[in-house]
Amino acid sequence: MSHDFSALLFDPVYAILGVPATLTAGAMAAVQITVIDHTRPKSQTSNSVEVRSVESAAFARIPELTAKGITRDKYEGALLSFNGRNWIVRSKELRGSPNGEDFGDVRFLLKAAP
Amino acid sequence: MSDVREDILARLVAIVATMPSIKNVYRNNVDLTEDQLPAATVLDGDEETSDHTDASMRPANRPTLATMNPEIIIFKIAPDVGPDISTLRAELIKLVLYDTELNQQIVKTGRYGNGAIRYLGCQTDLGWERSMFGALKANFLFKYTLRPEEL
Repeated sequence: MSHDFSALLFDPVYAILGVPATLTAGAMAAVQITVIDHTRPKSQTSNSVEVRSVESAAFARIPELTAKGITRDKYEGALLSFNGRNWIVRSKELRGSPNGEDFGDVRFLLKAAP
Repeated sequence: MSDVREDILARLVAIVATMPSIKNVYRNNVDLTEDQLPAATVLDGDEETSDHTDASMRPANRPTLATMNPEIIIFKIAPDVGPDISTLRAELIKLVLYDTELNQQIVKTGRYGNGAIRYLGCQTDLGWERSMFGALKANFLFKYTLRPEEL
């Protein structure tokens, strides 16, 4: 692959859309990372009744997580704070990159922290 | 003027409104937001008679037996929504089946008449929103006398 998509794509995107976040995984010390807030509208329909809320999510770069010691097995259950709210990572989606999944980003699916 | 069907539905809304854990109760509101939860919606049910099998000479305006199947849906978003929904289900069933006004004055069950109230069952919906979302739809059957002259 002749193109470095980390430099061409992810760096500028995260520089513009990213916000500072604090991630605490298990017993590890909290680390500062950059995430993109991906909170989106979501509704549930039961019978004919629609209940509107949000699906809380955030993108983070896998190289940054790895460099700070946050391996994939530590994602779920981690506490993630950004934009004034606290969340728990309940699941994840790996988004990959043309340079390989280890150079892509991950979409954390979040739930409100108690 | 008396419409038993409407009286049942209005009473169901009043009954659900007494549930301490329910913040808002609606009738036929099909568009809710998370800040309105925990909430319940009473949905008007279908009404049926068995008169399609009655080819007798009975005058058209004579009383007949009707059944209605209203639905009550309870919604909640909470970290551990399962036990919460179970608690609300139990409260709801007891409130409806034991309600004196429904049984004695409106539907006229047992020794008060030939009406009946039955709990038919429930269905659940689950999903993730800001937190865990749970919905429980409880189905009831009401049998009552439809008196055209009182409508």
